[in-house]
Amino acid sequence: METGLPAEYYQLLEELQAVDFVLVELTLYLDTHPNDTASIHQFNHYAQERKKLKKAIESKYGPMQQYGNSYSGAPWDWNKGPWPWQV
Amino acid sequence: MKHVKSYVPFHSRFDPCQPIGRKYYSTPPHLYMTFQPYNLPQFSPQEALKKGTLWPAFYDYYENPYERRS
Repeated sequence: METGLPAEYYQLLEELQAVDFVLVELTLYLDTHPNDTASIHQFNHYAQERKKLKKAIESKYGPMQQYGNSYSGAPWDWNKGPWPWQV
Repeated sequence: MKHVKSYVPFHSRFDPCQPIGRKYYSTPPHLYMTFQPYNLPQFSPQEALKKGTLWPAFYDYYENPYERRS
């Protein structure tokens, strides 16, 4: 199992975590404020940001999700760690 | 603004334990807000992650009120 991951990996992962948290908060907020278009714009902005971040991480460090939610490199790289929950 | 309230419970003379005396409890900010207003100022995503909320108006950390007594 590899142990040395570059600092960049953790930075990207933290950014992803922060964006995910914003999305959770905005989801809960929009449940009660469905007509707040400014927040909907913000939500969509971060949803897009999340996609970009996920792509950036996966292009370098392999898939983060399975069952079609992430692309795989060739050869099949899901069985190579470390997985996000191991780091 | 933090809402820490306190009360003094009855203490029986037969209670074998030392009384704490004044008891404290804190109430979260959303109780006083009723419906969340539109366009509240926000934390940056990184800060929101650390503080546990996107809106500074809901940021309510715990400060142990018993510590400053002893």
